[in-house]
Amino acid sequence: MTKKKFRSKKAAERGANTAIYIILTIISIVWLFPFFYLVIQSLRGESGAATLYFWPKQWTFDNYIKLFTDTSIYNFPRWYGTTLIISIAVTVIQTAIVLVTSYALSRLRFKMRKPLMNLMLVLGMFPGFMSMTAIYFLLKLFGLTQEMGLVGLILVYVASSCMGYYICKGFFDTIPKSLDEAARIDGASRHTVFIKIILPLAKPIIIYTVLTAFMAPWGEYMFASLMAFGDQSYFNVAVGLKYMLQRETISEYFTRFCAASVIISLPITALFMWLQKYYVQGVTGGSVKG
Amino acid sequence: MAELSLKHIYKVYPNGTKAVNDFNMEIADKEFIVFVGPSGCGKSTTLRMIAGLEDISAGELTIGENVVNDMEPKDRDIAMVFQNYALYPHMTVFDNVAFGLKIRKIPDVKRDKDGNPILDKNGNQIPCMRHYTKEEINRKVLEAADILGITEYLAKKPKEMSGGQRQRVSLGRAIVRSPKVMLLDEPLSNLDAKLRTQMRSEIAKLHAKLKTTFIYVTHDQVEAMTMGTRIVVMKDGFVQQIDTPKNLYKYPGNKFVAGFIGTPQMNFFEGTLLKTGDEVEISFDYSDAKVKVPYSMMYKAKPSYLDGKTKVYIGLRAEDVSIDPAVVKASDTVIKVKVSHKEELGNQTLLYADINMDGDGYTESSTRIIIETKGYYFAEAGEVIDAALNINNVHLFDKETELSILPRIPEFNYLDCEVAAGKLKFCGIELKLPKAVECADGKYELLIPTDAVAFGGKDAQAEVVDCEDINGRNVAAFELGGRRMFAVTDGSIEKGKAGISFDIKKFSVIKDGETVVERMPEKISLEGKLIKERTVEEKVENGKTVKKKCIKFMLDVAGYKVACPDKTADKLISAMGVKNAFTETLLYECGPYDLKFAEEGICAEVLSVADYGKEKFAVCKIGEETAYVKCDGEEVSTAKLLPEIDKLAIIQKEKHIRII
Repeated sequence: MTKKKFRSKKAAERGANTAIYIILTIISIVWLFPFFYLVIQSLRGESGAATLYFWPKQWTFDNYIKLFTDTSIYNFPRWYGTTLIISIAVTVIQTAIVLVTSYALSRLRFKMRKPLMNLMLVLGMFPGFMSMTAIYFLLKLFGLTQEMGLVGLILVYVASSCMGYYICKGFFDTIPKSLDEAARIDGASRHTVFIKIILPLAKPIIIYTVLTAFMAPWGEYMFASLMAFGDQSYFNVAVGLKYMLQRETISEYFTRFCAASVIISLPITALFMWLQKYYVQGVTGGSVKG
Repeated sequence: MAELSLKHIYKVYPNGTKAVNDFNMEIADKEFIVFVGPSGCGKSTTLRMIAGLEDISAGELTIGENVVNDMEPKDRDIAMVFQNYALYPHMTVFDNVAFGLKIRKIPDVKRDKDGNPILDKNGNQIPCMRHYTKEEINRKVLEAADILGITEYLAKKPKEMSGGQRQRVSLGRAIVRSPKVMLLDEPLSNLDAKLRTQMRSEIAKLHAKLKTTFIYVTHDQVEAMTMGTRIVVMKDGFVQQIDTPKNLYKYPGNKFVAGFIGTPQMNFFEGTLLKTGDEVEISFDYSDAKVKVPYSMMYKAKPSYLDGKTKVYIGLRAEDVSIDPAVVKASDTVIKVKVSHKEELGNQTLLYADINMDGDGYTESSTRIIIETKGYYFAEAGEVIDAALNINNVHLFDKETELSILPRIPEFNYLDCEVAAGKLKFCGIELKLPKAVECADGKYELLIPTDAVAFGGKDAQAEVVDCEDINGRNVAAFELGGRRMFAVTDGSIEKGKAGISFDIKKFSVIKDGETVVERMPEKISLEGKLIKERTVEEKVENGKTVKKKCIKFMLDVAGYKVACPDKTADKLISAMGVKNAFTETLLYECGPYDLKFAEEGICAEVLSVADYGKEKFAVCKIGEETAYVKCDGEEVSTAKLLPEIDKLAIIQKEKHIRII
């Protein structure tokens, strides 16, 4: 009788895990390296664009300080402020619109509901720059470019927000309808049901919506650059930073550019770390039914 | 604390599915009504229509004195308990119960800081709406929690509680507002068996304590039988029967109700009935079994069922079959059955057998018989034994329509009669035949509808032996010439001797299965449409002529336009939808008294005048239909008939929905 040899299950698992972790580590390094490079470069004392060596010879915080103090050529604090205002405004308005739209699409049954939902999905697939020129001229007509560009941009970013109903509606669909019905019989109007019953239960999806709504305008470049039309006092951070890297100033400002990039990533990182657990919950919770 | 009235309620979905068909019911205050039926029968839909969560396609729903068809759920003053509890998960039990109180406003008068009413200039109190105060909410929630025994959980969240506790909270949320009507949608279906029994008695207790109207939906017939004061059995969107649990069990109106109510299920056999003299022989198909019963049991049955050919279903409950030797010995109605297997339930044994000696007794067939026996019974499989049938409790159903052929409220009395010299003889009395009824001398069968008999007349003297109130209708049984007959009357009739009169125009005379004299038709249907007319009215205002556009609604009844009352038009439009209201064909049902001779009206050809002695009717031809219209006997060839719109029933032809 021959005894067949079985490989121990534990050993097999350990082997597989080791392989997986090695691959994951490599991927992480590839992913994190650019950011790491950015942080290192932002602390470099010597000027000049790209250096042939990796570790700076001189470590300094000057780049960060100058970014906020030396505003003679590039007014970074102004860009930063503009972007923050736009992002916060868009976040508030867009979240409200998305929630209301999704609730209506989830709960109300009206004619053309399905066609409308499909239309919004399809429209959302077209890239935004398709209609960019037309929108720009329209906004110019209303005087909402350049000095009023802030309002114009908010308008543009918020305009199509209801198209992001999909995940949020999926989440609302998972909240039993009988809750709405019970509340309506208890004496609540649809409005009260939404505010008092649905919103408290929709926390994860609200946070998801807030995060996505904040991130989009925070890093947006194309529309912002068009709206400012070359006048750097109306830039947002993305446009401004690109502007910094012009051929004439790149060697002097490259390290400062790196510092600015780090600063830009701060609010998103902070927001994300804080809301992380809800974010994950929100995405999975909403995607069960859709 | 309110009555409910559902009149011709329909639910039709946009895709054409009819979920509820012509639901009619009057629910008295403080009743406990149970809707029961298999899933998909429309019971929950009906409840949700009462709650206002579903639109009513056609019909009228009244709660208390208000028609609530278009009322929001929150304004109907109802409460509802859901199968899945529907508690607000983010709120504590206290907040769940208090939610309805917190958002509701109640009428009050304006008060100053000390709570004294403020008076206006004329010394009257000023009415206003206010929220409940915190103390009021606290008190009410605690009261409700106390009734349901959930006081100790008030601070908990729903997810920390068990199913039974959650359903208690849900009940608490419903009772805290003291609603007019409590609606319960399968509240116990999510609970386990033991808890269900416990909650069942608690809900019954709650009903006794609150003295509110309860409407309860369930698919469990045991729940329905134990809790309801009246039960509505539904199937496929149609109401099958509405009655008390006892009557449903004793007098099922059709085969479905008979099979649905009661465990084990009623035994159904196929068979035929043959009348010979004063006896009726019931023979079972696929078996040699035959039993004889006196004809007096079958008075309510149509004679055509007793011909020995027409197939019927024979229903007998398990407890109406006995194999106890003493009972078998004393019984005249014994059949042989072959035992197949048994189910021992402790206090009783269910014996499965077959009346067909080749049957196996396992599958549900028209020969299987379930017998309920007391205690343990030891019979071998395959053994052939005698079983006594308690034939007094037999239920007979038509094979096609599955309706009971012995209805509680009979439609007709079936008698033998003789016509001689213009006189109709039956049950020892003679009636003079009016001119309209022509009949050669001879022997016939006579059909007297139960509503053609009126008490207090002089046609004959009868002995009233019984008068029963069956769902608001009085069925009087009386003896006439030794034969028992039935009459449906409006009021209760006292037992004893009474004069009766017959309405001959409702009689039918039959010979050898062919109708010799047909009764006067009760209703005819005329086709038509709803029409919208735009008119321009000229009015003189301040010396100027002002043109005003008006919309008038008209009803086209068989080609004649009648002004349609706004209320009727509203109902028609809301039931059919604005789009279809003016294109759909309508049917008007009208009886002989709903059409009147007038100067203008529907053109009709008068064929003849039917003289029924006391009353005369003109036989009119309207299109294809023949209508009888009351007249004073003048001979005319054409007539104009004016319909009385308020009296007509209006039916949407295509979908067959009765709207008015």
